[in-house]
Amino acid sequence: MDLHYTEADRDFRARAREWLKANVPQTRRPAHGQAGAQFDRDWQRKLHDHGWAGVAWPQEYGGLGLSGLRQVIWYEELARAHAPHHINTTYVALMHAGPTLIARGTPEQKAFHLPRILSGESLWCQGFSEPNAGSDLASIKTRGRIEGDHIVVNGAKMWTTDAQYGDYQELLIRTDPASERHKGLTWVICDMKTPGIDIKPIRTMLQDDHVSMVFYDEVRIPLANVVGEVGKGWSTALATLSFERGLGFIGDQLELYERVNRAIDLAGKTRLEDGRLAIGDDGIAQRLAAIKADCIAIRAMTLADIAETDRTGEPGPKGSMMKLMVTTTHKALSEVVGEILGWSFLEFDGDRIAYPWTYDYLWSWVFSISGGTNEIQREITADRVLGLPKAR
Amino acid sequence: MYLAPDGHEVEIAEAAAAFVAQALPIARLHTPGSADLGQAARQRFAEMGWFALAVPESGGGSGLSAVEHALFFREAGRQCGPVDLLAQCLAANLTGDADIVSGARGVALLVADGEAWRLLGAADSALALLVTPDEALLYPLADATTTSRPALDPANSLAVVSALPDPVERLAGDHIWQLGELGTAAMLLGVAEAALDLIVDYAKIRETFGRKIGSWQAVRHPCADVAVRIEAARAQLWYAAAATKEGRADAATHLDVAKHLANSAALAATDTTIQLHGGIGVTEEHDAHLLLKHALVLSRLFGAKRALLGRVLHAGLED
Ligand SMILES: Cc1cc2nc3c(=O)[nH]c(=O)nc-3n(C[C@H](O)[C@H](O)[C@H](O)COP(=O)(O)OP(=O)(O)OC[C@H]3O[C@@H](n4cnc5c(N)ncnc54)[C@H](O)[C@@H]3O)c2cc1C
Repeated sequence: MDLHYTEADRDFRARAREWLKANVPQTRRPAHGQAGAQFDRDWQRKLHDHGWAGVAWPQEYGGLGLSGLRQVIWYEELARAHAPHHINTTYVALMHAGPTLIARGTPEQKAFHLPRILSGESLWCQGFSEPNAGSDLASIKTRGRIEGDHIVVNGAKMWTTDAQYGDYQELLIRTDPASERHKGLTWVICDMKTPGIDIKPIRTMLQDDHVSMVFYDEVRIPLANVVGEVGKGWSTALATLSFERGLGFIGDQLELYERVNRAIDLAGKTRLEDGRLAIGDDGIAQRLAAIKADCIAIRAMTLADIAETDRTGEPGPKGSMMKLMVTTTHKALSEVVGEILGWSFLEFDGDRIAYPWTYDYLWSWVFSISGGTNEIQREITADRVLGLPKAR
Repeated sequence: MYLAPDGHEVEIAEAAAAFVAQALPIARLHTPGSADLGQAARQRFAEMGWFALAVPESGGGSGLSAVEHALFFREAGRQCGPVDLLAQCLAANLTGDADIVSGARGVALLVADGEAWRLLGAADSALALLVTPDEALLYPLADATTTSRPALDPANSLAVVSALPDPVERLAGDHIWQLGELGTAAMLLGVAEAALDLIVDYAKIRETFGRKIGSWQAVRHPCADVAVRIEAARAQLWYAAAATKEGRADAATHLDVAKHLANSAALAATDTTIQLHGGIGVTEEHDAHLLLKHALVLSRLFGAKRALLGRVLHAGLED
């Protein structure tokens, strides 16, 4: 057990810090629309052109092939430099579509898509959930009928984040009409410009329209776009989810510590309704300190997990515990900031940059629902980590 | 002794529920620009006498009490009734002015915020009401300096007021404060009940893994926990309303406790309802977020957490 960074790790941190300091965009990301997606593409292209793209990807696919520890260093430096948030329109492509193709794709799929993802040229979205299949993903109904060398898709997906900006979609469909649950599914690459696709944005309580319902009417997808085997899509989907649940939220995990420190600064200069500084209120100070302690422990959990993964080569079952820890801490922090900010916390027009704390507060529900709800994460922890008898 | 609506109180509650659901349905808030009461609705509420339930008959009111006042505002809360609905009613109790009781002149609510004030309600209201536990003051709004701010809660416009003219009306004492505290606590109870109803109804129809989600303990137990918090908040609200009506010496304490219980019940119920709806719970078209955002505003009015708990700590009760 040791906490040593090697000379090379320290050197990497110094180089990352220096480069970020000089290159983090000084302009605000537009909150909505294609302009926001373009901002993300431009930042990704800049990372790519300067050799910082794909920190987790193997070098043979154009990534940096960094160890888990180096990735932690990278995300810490991103947070410290106030760089664009990595959960943006490039997220699906970099964090789970690309890794799924690396693990399960054909040589042609890899050759075509991976460079485009790294350079910010292609954005991806995820079409797994449906109106009647969220927590219970295996109950999806969107159908794919095989006709010659194509799959013809009909049905509807729901909650596809950034469908309007995505060039491609991770699409999970039922290709065997007689099948049930996990069997008979297929994971395909869907080009979002294919005729027959209709995207209907869903407005959320954050006043944005980043998620959509996507309808498919006789959408023809080449069989060559199947990732894994026809009928074995569940296995490919599990790989995708393991990337999403593994290191997918590492940036958030580390950023929380920056955020709690910002909240403590805020408490040191904001007055409560009784005229005292918020930090002088014992209740607030103690809650902030306890949250800070949790954030420090989250960093330790992240490092422990990542060092373990570096050793074993695959993520363990602890991602669910991490997501629970991070989402509950995130919410507790948002709530205490709500008390510190008083009435100004109740100002909001949908702009996450102008009203970051209120946005984060509302986002705490998106965080504890999307990517597997907290209830389901507790189920997974009880099943897989504790080995308790299953309820489902 | 009876601690639930009884006799004519039940009739008033039912009439209020039907009227508010028709005049100010929560669904209005899915259309932009639906903040505040607005002149037309204000006059409809006035015609039915809803602003003056607790105003003596000699002052043009119904001569009823704090109990009917609470019953009405609970129904208003269920529909996310705007804060200026309460301000109008409190001003009617303050002055008995015919133009206020009739809804001809609108009243918004002022809340102290550091060196300035926050205004909840239409910036073009004729008057603005500021209430503390010691006094109630009415200001002409036309002469105030206001800057509008984007509001998280679509039910109310929000502005900052940096300078106020002299008040046109002033009443010493805690009468208006008590009606305000009771009214907001009642609205918060209504918000909490509406939030619980939403998830209980949904948990009976939504299915995952071949079962209704209401059969998963991860769903049913939090619902039961919220039901307990609501039950406690409701019992305390009725107690506080009756204590206020009877002018009991410990009414202020019971009101503080009722407001605190209602604050936390509403925040817990709205959080739980969003979480247990899954994705649909964070959408604009769902009512859950409207209830949450409204609860955040109401929880800061007439006794936010710290002030309430500070008073409760050393308070004593009567038999
Ligand atoms: C903002 C946002 C973005 C999203 N982005 C994407 C995306 O890009 N791509 C994509 O495919 N999906 C996406 N999702 C979908 C997300 O994964 C689902 O919303 C989530 O898995 C929950 O499914 P559901 O909404 O159908 O809720 P349901 O599954 O209907 O669940 C309702 C409630 O019941 C609980 N519940 C259900 N079953 C059980 C059980 N067995 N035990 C205990 N509790 C249970 C849930 O925890 C929840 O509280 C997104 C969702 C949101 C809100």
